Amino acid sequence: MEHHLVLRVAAKLLIPPILLFALYVQFHGDFGPGGGFQAGVIFGAGCILYGVVFGVDNLQRVVPAGVVRVLSAAGVLLYAGVGVWSLLSGGNYLDYGVLAADRVHGQHLGIMLVELGVGTTVSAVMIGLFYGFTSLRP
Amino acid sequence: MLAAAMLALLVAMVLALVRALSGPTVYDRILAVNTFGTKTVLVIAVYNFLSGRPDFLDIALVYTLINFVGTVAVLKFFEYRDLGAASGSNGAEETSR
Repeated sequence: MEHHLVLRVAAKLLIPPILLFALYVQFHGDFGPGGGFQAGVIFGAGCILYGVVFGVDNLQRVVPAGVVRVLSAAGVLLYAGVGVWSLLSGGNYLDYGVLAADRVHGQHLGIMLVELGVGTTVSAVMIGLFYGFTSLRP
Repeated sequence: MLAAAMLALLVAMVLALVRALSGPTVYDRILAVNTFGTKTVLVIAVYNFLSGRPDFLDIALVYTLINFVGTVAVLKFFEYRDLGAASGSNGAEETSR
């Protein structure tokens, strides 16, 4: 891909806005369309674009396969941990209202943490799928 | 006016779909699918203004990004037959299609 200069420059220009847009979708998800899953997919797509244009070895230097494995489990752990946290705080499982003194504030906190877990898992699994596909040498 | 634009976009999408289904070479199909994706972005944008809720333009933006990444990935795969290669052996192997 070294002689595709336009593609390389366009990818270098596009990847930071893609990752930033993923964070926007992640943290703006409670006011507009979006949420953890979509943000994770966009973040994963930005990393996959880097891997496609600059090679999967360079991408594995940025996000090693072990990190992907840990992150894809850590998101689920965060999701379930918020549920257990609300359980221990005296509410039902994933009942965010009891997480803070103010019920509305607790809802905000709980939803943000859960969506963060979803986004982490989805982006890690997307990158893991890309690693899986690229390791299949025809 | 917006309804007419939507109708024209849908007709263009049908034409792109016909080309994607009947394209002789794989590049015809890739170009048709890319055109279809662009038209989808425009349909989302027009529908937002048709329904008076332009805050769904984010979705159109997302569709553009995913479409670009997907097209680059498919093109690279058909050129090099390897999605993860960095140098790609300068495209010397011309695959028969």
